[in-house]
Amino acid sequence: MEINRVESNGFEELWVNMGPQHPASHGVFRMQIKVDGEVIKEVIPHIGYLHRGVEKLGEFLTPVQFLPVLDRNDYLSSVSNEFPFALAIEKLANINVPERAEYLRVIAAELMRISSHLVFFGTFCLDMGGALGGGSTIFLYAFREREKILDIFEKWTGSRMHLNLITFGGVRYDIYPGFDKDLKDFLKDFENKIKEYEDMIENNPVFLARTKKVGILPKEIAMEYGCSGPVLRGSGVKFDLRKAKPYSVYNKFEFEIPSFPDGDVYSRYKVRILEMKESIKILRQAIEGIPSGPINSLMPVKVKTSIKLKEGEVYEAVESPRGENGVYIVSDGRFGLYRVKLRTPTFYNLSVIPYLLKGALIADVVAILGSLDPVFGDVDR
Amino acid sequence: MNALINSLIYGIVILLIVFTIVAYLTWIERKFAGRMQSRIGPYYVGRPHGWLQPLADVLKLILKEEITPKNVDKLIYNIAPFVVLIASLLLFAVLPFSEKIIISNSSIGVLIFLAISSLIIIGGFMAGWASNSKYPLISAIRGGAQIVSYEIPLLFSIIVPCIIAGSLNPIEIVKAQKIWFILYPVIGQISFLIFLISGLAEENRTPFDIPEAESELVAGFTVEYSSMKFAMFYAGEYAHLLALSGLGTILFLGGWKGAFLPGSLWFAIKSIILFLILLWIRWSYLRVRIDQLLKFSWKFLFPISVLNILLAGLIVILK
Amino acid sequence: MVKALYITLKNLFRKPVTVMYPDKKREIPNRMRSPLFALTKDEDGVIKCIACKLCENICPSNVIKVIPSKEKNEKGRPYPEEYELNLSACLACEYCVQVCPNDAIVMIRIFGWATKNKEDLILRKEKLLENYEKYKDLISECTGEFLRKMQTPRR
Repeated sequence: MEINRVESNGFEELWVNMGPQHPASHGVFRMQIKVDGEVIKEVIPHIGYLHRGVEKLGEFLTPVQFLPVLDRNDYLSSVSNEFPFALAIEKLANINVPERAEYLRVIAAELMRISSHLVFFGTFCLDMGGALGGGSTIFLYAFREREKILDIFEKWTGSRMHLNLITFGGVRYDIYPGFDKDLKDFLKDFENKIKEYEDMIENNPVFLARTKKVGILPKEIAMEYGCSGPVLRGSGVKFDLRKAKPYSVYNKFEFEIPSFPDGDVYSRYKVRILEMKESIKILRQAIEGIPSGPINSLMPVKVKTSIKLKEGEVYEAVESPRGENGVYIVSDGRFGLYRVKLRTPTFYNLSVIPYLLKGALIADVVAILGSLDPVFGDVDR
Repeated sequence: MNALINSLIYGIVILLIVFTIVAYLTWIERKFAGRMQSRIGPYYVGRPHGWLQPLADVLKLILKEEITPKNVDKLIYNIAPFVVLIASLLLFAVLPFSEKIIISNSSIGVLIFLAISSLIIIGGFMAGWASNSKYPLISAIRGGAQIVSYEIPLLFSIIVPCIIAGSLNPIEIVKAQKIWFILYPVIGQISFLIFLISGLAEENRTPFDIPEAESELVAGFTVEYSSMKFAMFYAGEYAHLLALSGLGTILFLGGWKGAFLPGSLWFAIKSIILFLILLWIRWSYLRVRIDQLLKFSWKFLFPISVLNILLAGLIVILK
Repeated sequence: MVKALYITLKNLFRKPVTVMYPDKKREIPNRMRSPLFALTKDEDGVIKCIACKLCENICPSNVIKVIPSKEKNEKGRPYPEEYELNLSACLACEYCVQVCPNDAIVMIRIFGWATKNKEDLILRKEKLLENYEKYKDLISECTGEFLRKMQTPRR
């Protein structure tokens, strides 16, 4: 249920409160909207309902202990939270990673990308269609596909969402016998289903009328506010960290970066659908070429102080499904860390909301907020 | 006197049958929607198919607590659900179930149907106004605008079979269909499509369910109602849908005509098939925005329905 | 426009994917990590844990507390006087299983261990040993030995 408190202010303008609990919820987020008839004049967003103090925890937990806690930051794609932290510590402490571990990390990251974009797809159509009606049909179809991915993760690592897979020097779990058959079956089935869902939605004039020319974000504003990921690529800037600064083994795979120049809700949606198809390509190439070998280059973790770092600072970033996810570490030579700063993508993506919603209708608010794909664990950490 | 007692008995029997069918229509909807979404619908109440679910729902709704907010307009607030339910059930008085079974045989049956079905939204508007809160009011106003805009295409699409049959009496219209009216060259299909779309909009069903189930106005004009009054709105909506399907079979699908089985059984089967088609559309499409809805009605459906009538008139003259 | 109707119709005739939970259960993979633990015993029925406190050291949420005993048991090993594990804060990260030197603590592959009051979530030594007796054939494939062997860089 939604809590609404309406106060009259002046002649025709009302302050409407879209409270922390939405029916079409993406998390806990409060917006105060000034409305004149149906047109929005001003928006004041309030965040901070999910703040858990993760950056402070990084100061007294040792790096080995901090990894499972970081998983819960962006809870829909947990590999992309551990990945930059592991890359940063390996750079500071000069640790090599064997090649099989790199391939396994890439496979997990791309599967997580497909799963997160499926959640976006389902909830976006749910917002626009209504809980009883066409929207919930597509929502259930998207989650039906996502269940297969989570089953693969469960057989591999033991846990469905918070994998705790990556550790310093490699990964913790090796693949089980029968993994490539499962993955290939899933990819073949998923390609057909994606085509079906695309056809189902895109030929619908109702959907096109509600998403084209709505919520236009020009290129300069997107770059000025620091957006990244599909929000930036949907406005015409072809920037992806996997191609601009390749990390891990991404330079061995062939894939393309989709981008559209319009900047409206439809282009951001289309960028994510095309990204899912590119991920299928990467996964097919990766599963063909996994080399054999060890999965870790250090001995397994025994005590919490097993990694000792020298003094220094480092910043490493990774392309998560929402944008650029980065970690900045300052270390002062003892067993813990002096400061951990997490650069999360959704915090900067969400800051364009006062610009986007000015002049839109009330019925567009839900579509625009859904197209930015916010996850509030990321915003509030 | 005899005719009066006849009508009374028919009336009571048909009322009871309609109540049971309306309760089971909710079960059909949930099962059908569940299968389309790859899941099983109701299962536990009356294993394995959940066929006692409507009984459980009715019991739950009767036993719930009645909460009435303090500042409502008491008379209108209490009357509104009754208006909706009674108007929806009155629609069955003019539908013929077979050649002999009809409660009130009048020569302008179709016109009476349309007049009564416009009363239903008055009940909805009364509910929205009397609730004394901003959100039911917004939804009632939007509902009023939507229904007024879609009355005209509905009327124009219903007139075409009446023009070709030459009368407004539903029994005469069915008798005049040598082949089913939907199979007529061009006007049959266009009229049926316009009837379907305008019927959905009259009914507040997705893709046009803006007064009801939006993600900002959580339940529309029924938001301040609880327990049995809410159940009356709900049952009224399903009865209206069933009556609309009934009218659709009479005008376009040939009413009670068919081989082997008795006439009323054919009528029931055809109505339920039309109801299932309306359900199928509901669970596959997204929702339109309010200004796009009104634009669609006035700029697109209205001219096409007028052209349709001109074409039908031309065909009747040329024959 | 009608493609959407066609796809919903196609799904109407497929088999539903629901698994009706209490009547049928889905199969549980070998490595599943649900946070229920057990302390193992060796062939003679003596507890394997030597109270080395490695698991207490590494846990990120500090849920384990071990109090070693002052004298040794009949096999000549030290044993824990008191072992407490607070399930309500466990992250299920499997670090404690990984570091244990002789596989004393393992995870059980079961879900459906929910309790009615909060005190039942704090597992003591007797409850952990009892879990081992009850769920002996549901122990996860990932014991400490298995995980360490998987992660060691081989020559």
